[in-house]
Amino acid sequence: MRILIVDDSAVMRRIHKNTLLENGIDESSLIEAKDGEEALKIAVEEEITLFLVDWNMPKLNGVNFVKEVRKYQKYSKTPMIMITSEAAKYNVIEAIQAGVTNYVVKPIQGNVLWEKIRKYL
Amino acid sequence: MKVQYINPFLQATTGLFKDYLGMEIIAEKPYINTEPNRLGDVSAIIGLAGETTGAVVLSFTHDSAIAIVSEFAGKKYAALGSEVIDGVGELVNIIAGNAKKDLHEFKIMISLPGVVTGSDYRIHWPEGIPVVCIPFKSNFGNFSVNVSMRDIA
Repeated sequence: MRILIVDDSAVMRRIHKNTLLENGIDESSLIEAKDGEEALKIAVEEEITLFLVDWNMPKLNGVNFVKEVRKYQKYSKTPMIMITSEAAKYNVIEAIQAGVTNYVVKPIQGNVLWEKIRKYL
Repeated sequence: MKVQYINPFLQATTGLFKDYLGMEIIAEKPYINTEPNRLGDVSAIIGLAGETTGAVVLSFTHDSAIAIVSEFAGKKYAALGSEVIDGVGELVNIIAGNAKKDLHEFKIMISLPGVVTGSDYRIHWPEGIPVVCIPFKSNFGNFSVNVSMRDIA
């Protein structure tokens, strides 16, 4: 299993990582990226089984990252959860159209996020 | 700037600090901030663009920034280092992003947050639009949310 956490905030990456570790995910399964561009390079080189993606990031934002990743056959059905503060309805629609599997609005309690994540593992 | 634009920011801030972080916070009466450059020691700024323009600034004292980000990150920070700065930026991002869902009149894009520290900084607020300050008292120290948003034409 390889889970890629994509968020420009080191604090948010820490929070997501802690949620996963507290629920028994091995640290060696986790990879972090600080923007969409870095994440895309990792996605091409690795076989990611689950993506946790923020929206507002420098270089390549989350929605455009999702669109890019979906172009790869190997990721056509890979679960991609967007975890973002963007709470407006039109944002949710845009993200779903880009190819996200699930959409979660921050802030979210770790146990609630885990319930969303576990069904994809 | 219409009064009803303030409520979404008030609710988003309450949702973050009270409901999510479980902090005891008291929102005091919002007022027009006539000195919008005299804010706290640590201020996180986010720009609004799209069908309106404006800015949101979340401002902390030095100690409240450290205490509140420690609570948010689940890690005790002792100083105003890069992770605390990062965390303050993330907090304003959450407030602005959550407020959007109740600002039905506009389709808004939010910028990446920037954070300034110290006592000698100047924020270039949008010209000609009042800045409304919502002060908060909390068990982790005081902070404020400052909003300036252009009315729709």
